[in-house]
Amino acid sequence: MAQELKSINLVAPAFKGVNTEDSPLAQDPSFAEIADNAVIDKRGRIAARKGHTVVTTNKTVLGTGSLRAIKEFRDDAGNTKVFSVGNNKIISGTTTLVDETPAGYSINADNWKLVDFNGRIYMFQRGFEPLVYDNTSGAVEAMSDHTHATGVTSAIYGNEVLAAYGRLWTADFTANKSTIYWSDLLNGIHWTGGSSGNIDISKVWPDGYDEIVALAAHNNALIIFGKHSIIVYDGATSPASMTLADTVAGIGCVNRDTVQYTGTDLLFLSHTGLKSFGRTIQEKSMPISSLSGNISKDIIAALQNETEFFRSVYSPEEGFYLLTFTSQAVTYCFDVRGTLENGSYRVTRWPSTGFTSFTRLTDGTLYIGTTNGISTYTGYSDNGTGYRFKYYSPSLTFGDSSRVKILKKLKPTLVGANDATVFMKWAYDFDTTYATAEFTIGTQITGFYGVSEYTTVEFTAGQLTNQRSLNTTGYGTSVQVGLESEIDGFALSLQEINVMALIGKLL
Amino acid sequence: MAVATDNVSTGAVYDTDDIMDMAGGSSGSFLDMLGGLGDFLSQPSVLLPGVVGGLLTGEAYGRLSDIGQQARTGAEDLAATQMEQTQFRPFTVTTATGADMGTRVTPEGGIATTMGLSPEEAALQNQLLGGAGGFFGQAMQTREPREQAIFERMRRAQRPEEERQRLALEERLAGQGRLGVSSAAYGGATPEMLAMATAQEEARNTAMLGAMQQAQAEQMQQAALGQQFLGAGYLPQQQLMAATQPAQQLAALQQQAQLQGAGLFGEATMSGLEAQLVAEQARANLLGQTGAGLLQGALTPRSTGTSDLISTLGSLFKKD
Repeated sequence: MAQELKSINLVAPAFKGVNTEDSPLAQDPSFAEIADNAVIDKRGRIAARKGHTVVTTNKTVLGTGSLRAIKEFRDDAGNTKVFSVGNNKIISGTTTLVDETPAGYSINADNWKLVDFNGRIYMFQRGFEPLVYDNTSGAVEAMSDHTHATGVTSAIYGNEVLAAYGRLWTADFTANKSTIYWSDLLNGIHWTGGSSGNIDISKVWPDGYDEIVALAAHNNALIIFGKHSIIVYDGATSPASMTLADTVAGIGCVNRDTVQYTGTDLLFLSHTGLKSFGRTIQEKSMPISSLSGNISKDIIAALQNETEFFRSVYSPEEGFYLLTFTSQAVTYCFDVRGTLENGSYRVTRWPSTGFTSFTRLTDGTLYIGTTNGISTYTGYSDNGTGYRFKYYSPSLTFGDSSRVKILKKLKPTLVGANDATVFMKWAYDFDTTYATAEFTIGTQITGFYGVSEYTTVEFTAGQLTNQRSLNTTGYGTSVQVGLESEIDGFALSLQEINVMALIGKLL
Repeated sequence: MAVATDNVSTGAVYDTDDIMDMAGGSSGSFLDMLGGLGDFLSQPSVLLPGVVGGLLTGEAYGRLSDIGQQARTGAEDLAATQMEQTQFRPFTVTTATGADMGTRVTPEGGIATTMGLSPEEAALQNQLLGGAGGFFGQAMQTREPREQAIFERMRRAQRPEEERQRLALEERLAGQGRLGVSSAAYGGATPEMLAMATAQEEARNTAMLGAMQQAQAEQMQQAALGQQFLGAGYLPQQQLMAATQPAQQLAALQQQAQLQGAGLFGEATMSGLEAQLVAEQARANLLGQTGAGLLQGALTPRSTGTSDLISTLGSLFKKD
């Protein structure tokens, strides 16, 4: 007797992002086992990320290197200039990269941090004399070479620099990991006199000893990130009088470049994953509040394996926080528009992007640094090259893991994906060998009434949606469904996947 | 004793012996010298009264001479006696506390005074004068060591509270996580640390100024104490001096009485001498007058030959 097909509708699959922490069998189908080169789009669907378009046309000064940091300089007069670093050089420009390295200044590392402060852009890297640029001089110069600089000694050659509360703050020196120096008010080149000063927090660490990694400003407080501690000072607008407001033990920051402001909160990567400062302060380092709780093991492994740099960016326009492990060429994309029930952000993974630096311009443009120079986060190809969008569901048991499931049909509903070839994949019982069904969506050009010519385009709604029905084979107690597509010029969103299966006998 | 007589008219000088000799010593030679006068004088009516008169006159003359001599000797004896009577008579004074003052006449005729305190007074005087010396010595020393000592003492009193405040601030700063703050605007420290350092410096400065003032006051006090001790050290001596005042008055009275007695003695003695002189003078005058009368009678020419006698006598006493 023929059995009734059981329909399991995966609506907006993976809209909760990747979850590699929970048991596949117990997972909510809204999670994904894999979501590569994906984002959560504005409708809450999993979709292909945007690509990047290289704007640099002359990258001679960069050579074979890659841009390790990008920063836009703006002053009150409206002057703007984009600075970047790479190939042991200080570089300016976007289309044609220009070497701005001061004459006689030797650089052998590209771990610079650039901050724009009060008409100047400052560049700090541990063990190197800070560099400064303003529109008056029109050139990058060593800070001590600046006409009005004072107190520029190796004591302030910090790795971390923060422009906040009308001052520059620097920390993380070669031989001093517990002292923070701050400049005179509104003057980042005065490190003696005025209201400049320093604070040694070696006696303040909550667990005895730590090393400063990063600094941040939040709610009139100076946030000092150690490797495994956080110290908060209130009243940082008057640093000589600021007072210890809070300390958090057990959670620190892995790298200064993982700290990003989201307007109302502060995100940073700790050794247990991505954290929210606000929540950390509230919850006093409770580990369950990790924003990367769904991929904790993955991200911990990634940060432990990282041998180069961490780079991150927050884009309110895109609604994500990107975290790149440069030596592993992997970027995690955290959707910051909301958190899941467990307090985690929805996260997807962007492998092999080659992104090595980010910056968000004042107009919201997201600049990406690569070996090709400066790119913008736009379009749906990586500078003309496609990239693979992947979605794999967790193993589905359809509510009864003891019975055999026999897949009959897969009915994906895709949005966009013009002229794309889509591969539907399925496998049983945690097998990593997937059966594949391929289909091509074909060219879809939006035709508008009264605008497009008859027979030239097909009338569609405003959004191109494709539904396909694919026959499937095999059986097993658990089923994993996947979808892959090469993204090369057009967006793709996965609206839903309708899985038609027969429920078989008990095993 | 010879009394010189000056013969003005002739310039020759004869003493009384010469005259007496000329008058009666050796009548032979004298008469010889007189020449023709001898004959006249050898007349009995002339010779005897003349000789007696001459002797009497000579006796008067001699007595007058003795009277002067006796008066001179008496006056000299009186002066010596009065000198002895008015001589300063040393005296001593001993106070009730055992101090004494003595006077004596030195071989040179001066008067020396000696004072002595009782052992207790001397000990007290030594103590007081020693104390005065000590105070003056301290007052004369440079003030810096004392200022430093006073400053250290004041700071020693201030330091415990300062240390408590420092520890409290340290704890407060540690609680606020600000122990390591160093701000150029606050001298390389925190505002609180600067305020505390300023307060401590002010206290230190105040202590320093106070120490200077105190040392100065002490110096003045020591000088005043030295003065007081010095004055007190001489107090036994002053008291001794004061105690000698009545004795000195008594001595003065005694001296006065002594002088007065000597004066009276002198006056009385001089009165006796004068009376004696007057009597002797009267006797001498009487004898002189008698002798003169005899001589006058003898030499007065009765009827004749008078002018010759006078001329002869005139030539007699005329010397070429």
